[in-house]
Amino acid sequence: MDIDVKNLHPLEVRLLRHVNLGDAITADSLKADLDYKVGQCNQAFSWLVAKGFLEEVSRKNRVFYELTELGREQQQNGTPALRIFTYLQSNGAATLPELATALGLEKKDVGSAFGALSKAAVTGMNEEHKAIAIGESLPESEDLVIQVLKKGLEGPFEDTVLNDDEKNAIKKMAKKRGASNAPFKIVEKEDVVFGLTKEGVEAKKAIFEANITGEELGNVTAEMLNSGSWKTGIFRPYGVDAPTSRLIPGRHNPYGNYLQWVKDKLTALGFEEFDGPLVENEFWNGDALFMPQFHSARDIHDVYRLKNASHSKEIEEPWLSNVADVHENGGNSGSRGWGYKFDHEFTRRQVMRSQGTVLSAHQLTKAKNPGKYFGVERCFRYDQVDATHGADFYQTEGIVIGDDVNLQTLLGLLKLFAEEIAGAEEVRYVPGYFPFTEPSIEVHIKHPVLGWFELGGSGILRPEVTKPLGIDAPVLAWGLGIDRMALMHLGLNDLRELFTPNIESVRTRRGN
Amino acid sequence: MPKIETKEKSFFNYLGRSYTDDELEAIFPVAKAELDGHSDGIIKIELNDTNRPDLWSALGVARAINNYNEAEITEYDFFSSAESTVDNEGRELQIHEAPENRAYSIGFAVKGHVVSDDDLLSLIQSQEKLCFNYGRKRKTIAMGIYRSSLIEFPIHYQGADPDKTSFIPLGMDEVMSLREMTKKHPKGIEYGPIVENDATFPYLYDDRGNALSFPPVINSADLGAVKVGDDALFVEMSGPILKNLLLAASIMSCDMADMGFTICPVKVVFDTETEYGNELTIPYYFQDPISCTLEQVEKTTGVKMDSTTVVLALKKMGIYSFCDEKEGIVYATVPEYRDDFLHAVDLVEDVIIGYGLNNFQPEMPQAFTMGRLTAAEELGRKVKDILVGLGFQEMMYNYLGSRKEYIDNMCVDGSDYIQIANPMSENFEFVRPSVIPSLLESESVSAHSPYPHKIFEVGKIAYLFEKDNSGTITKNSLGFLAADTLMGYNEVASLVNTLLYFLRVEYKLVALEGDPRFIDGRGAKMFASDKQIGLFGEINPVVLENWGCGMPTIACEIDLDEILALNN
Repeated sequence: MDIDVKNLHPLEVRLLRHVNLGDAITADSLKADLDYKVGQCNQAFSWLVAKGFLEEVSRKNRVFYELTELGREQQQNGTPALRIFTYLQSNGAATLPELATALGLEKKDVGSAFGALSKAAVTGMNEEHKAIAIGESLPESEDLVIQVLKKGLEGPFEDTVLNDDEKNAIKKMAKKRGASNAPFKIVEKEDVVFGLTKEGVEAKKAIFEANITGEELGNVTAEMLNSGSWKTGIFRPYGVDAPTSRLIPGRHNPYGNYLQWVKDKLTALGFEEFDGPLVENEFWNGDALFMPQFHSARDIHDVYRLKNASHSKEIEEPWLSNVADVHENGGNSGSRGWGYKFDHEFTRRQVMRSQGTVLSAHQLTKAKNPGKYFGVERCFRYDQVDATHGADFYQTEGIVIGDDVNLQTLLGLLKLFAEEIAGAEEVRYVPGYFPFTEPSIEVHIKHPVLGWFELGGSGILRPEVTKPLGIDAPVLAWGLGIDRMALMHLGLNDLRELFTPNIESVRTRRGN
Repeated sequence: MPKIETKEKSFFNYLGRSYTDDELEAIFPVAKAELDGHSDGIIKIELNDTNRPDLWSALGVARAINNYNEAEITEYDFFSSAESTVDNEGRELQIHEAPENRAYSIGFAVKGHVVSDDDLLSLIQSQEKLCFNYGRKRKTIAMGIYRSSLIEFPIHYQGADPDKTSFIPLGMDEVMSLREMTKKHPKGIEYGPIVENDATFPYLYDDRGNALSFPPVINSADLGAVKVGDDALFVEMSGPILKNLLLAASIMSCDMADMGFTICPVKVVFDTETEYGNELTIPYYFQDPISCTLEQVEKTTGVKMDSTTVVLALKKMGIYSFCDEKEGIVYATVPEYRDDFLHAVDLVEDVIIGYGLNNFQPEMPQAFTMGRLTAAEELGRKVKDILVGLGFQEMMYNYLGSRKEYIDNMCVDGSDYIQIANPMSENFEFVRPSVIPSLLESESVSAHSPYPHKIFEVGKIAYLFEKDNSGTITKNSLGFLAADTLMGYNEVASLVNTLLYFLRVEYKLVALEGDPRFIDGRGAKMFASDKQIGLFGEINPVVLENWGCGMPTIACEIDLDEILALNN
């Protein structure tokens, strides 16, 4: 048998070193020989039995009697019967209530003691119904009580030390529970005898071979270091694979870390971050992106509108006029426009930002050429919340402005994202459709875990979007659906989990 | 995104041969389509271009694929135009006293093909997609198909008295007035609201006075009940915008021609002058030509293409074009069924798809640009690191919540909170004005998690703010909360002190009074440079009870935008 003696506790080591095959090992023997406390005996027994080094040899129930407070008091001041008898002898007749008051006893105790004395014809009632002493001495049974009480003074004793009369007497005086109103408490003990097993013998041998005494030093203490006492001892080696306790560290949120990682990637690729308010107006949320005001995606139920602050006060010029023109007749963009009357009231209507592209539109009014910008933005959609739809969620997207950017640089950028951010093995481009880009390209990637899926949408912003906002150069626009990768990264499959309020769930969540 | 279904048999018939799923997936992108499913003889297709209603039918998708594969343009000879008019053989649709909000009705007839089961399903689907998606749930386009053999031309479209006009609607067996239909007929309940407030309701009837329909609500049970086996139909569409109707008629007529019908034009006589005159023969070609320069093709794609390449690419997209070599301009004729060319870039996109997206090579943008995070992000990260170091767990929450969470539980009136006008459910009715309710929500669902609880979030909050143009303001905010058997003002004050020390913010405290979220006398507001930057304190047991929390709790919220402003 292979025994790792390092995994033995000093209590086990000292026990094993002390005993031999065939010894009757009991708690009492350990207390006497090794100076173990009761608790230490129990620990050592349970560990060693679990390891198979000790086995139970026999088990016996033993009954002990222990004097209670009441018993101690009766032993000192006399039992109620003794005190009643002595009082009646010295003071003559008295009523039971008088006895109770004079002796400071409960009426019921006086009643039962007097009853017992009268039954033994030691006391009785006179014509005036007062108690009087009749006999000369207490009955024998009361002597037994006094005798047993005296025995209790020396500490708990076992019933085997009593003779039969005493045994009968103590039965009436002792209780297991609620013993506070009885002179004795019954304490039952199991006497277990253990013996060394064959494996225990092996373990003992191994301990001697390893020269472990159980006296080795445990925790390093400041006292030990200050006094230098460690110099004369040996440090006990610990079992290095013992179970550890759970710690609750302060931690970043793994989803937040993932988003931060994406942001860091994008800044490393030369993108500058933008951000903006959660409340937008229809102008920036749709009109500036050349989505016609009658577009079906802009119907009442696809965006969240505001009950209060329902409209912006004004839309900034010259953007408003430029955009209104481009919708109506193409304005300065070279387009024929949508050919409808632009609604100046509707454009001020406020909504919860429904797409990150809003911020790209804002950015165009202050962007540099060349310029690369991105945002990771919280957006809101009027959607039934389920595993794949949240009431609010993050979008990641951005723009690239440059005189020389074109479809091929767009494909290059998408390839870069696919490889750097999504870890794609293969990339495929297909024509897509977005109201604000032409051409529009979807990028599909083959991910080592997720297989083929759509990574994002992109395109070259329509001149109807860029020209009214003061940009003459071509602008690439892209958006990445990184939620799916975030879920995979976090080992989740439900979008709602990303924003869970459950502390335990977030505490125990790991990223990849 | 529109989705359509088609029987595999009919679809392969339109395509001229059968395709494997892999082949379909490979070819579908030319129509911006995706294979959405294929089982039990049914092919499901998702169409990504919401501006191409011509593709929302199996026939339309098949036409795009056939054009691409064969580089042949499908010809349709039944279109009239500003230059020439096809003989209408006496069929007319006359408009009288048109209803105010749905001024136009146009139509054409077809014959020479017996309607099969599959045809009928296909026609109903095209009608649905055009009216529901493109026609915005019949608001801008309502379409009806009728049995033309029963119709006596001319047909009349009129704004009729809703109470005095009646017929038996499809799906019912009693005569009802138009108004009764809007109230009692299932379609009336669904679509009646489009017209119910108008003085007159649209009414379509033939020259014998027999009802065709009450557009946009319901056909008549008689002339409007098209059945398998019919071989002559009349197709009509009505709505407020004539051009939308013309495009819908063009798409339907091309689809039906592809299906095997002969198209029989109908002359529409309007009661007013339209942008195309007061008489139009339908189907009518209304599109203007579109052009782009070869230079633009090169600038947009990054590839220099010659005129032959461009013209061939467009041909594969079903677009006839020619190039003026001297000027370097490509002139294209827009197909009858399309109206999505607003700008030269739209033509360039068709060149790209026709040329093949896979024939372009990914290239890196060359210009140098500087990557940079926002100042708020950088501060947020610094704050997060300090809080994590103090043993706090970072949380992330939704920004929408309920009245109960943000207002009732917090014992506040919420008068400056942003309320959603059209919430999907009461769970998402308010924009969060503070991070603290989110943190308390965590407490309310996390009693099983070992204490102490120390959590925080750096995120956005928003509330009403009159001075801003939007009447609202969005702020970057830090909220943190701690709960344990012993947790109180001293702990939170020490945390605040530590955090602000490392953020280099000198602050003063003023006792927080009258804030029902905190225990009176156990809260404070922090001021820096005379501006309030946040508040903290012991959460009021009333609030804890509202949330069902049973541990002493402290919370703090700090306006990170104010901290940023201080540092600048």
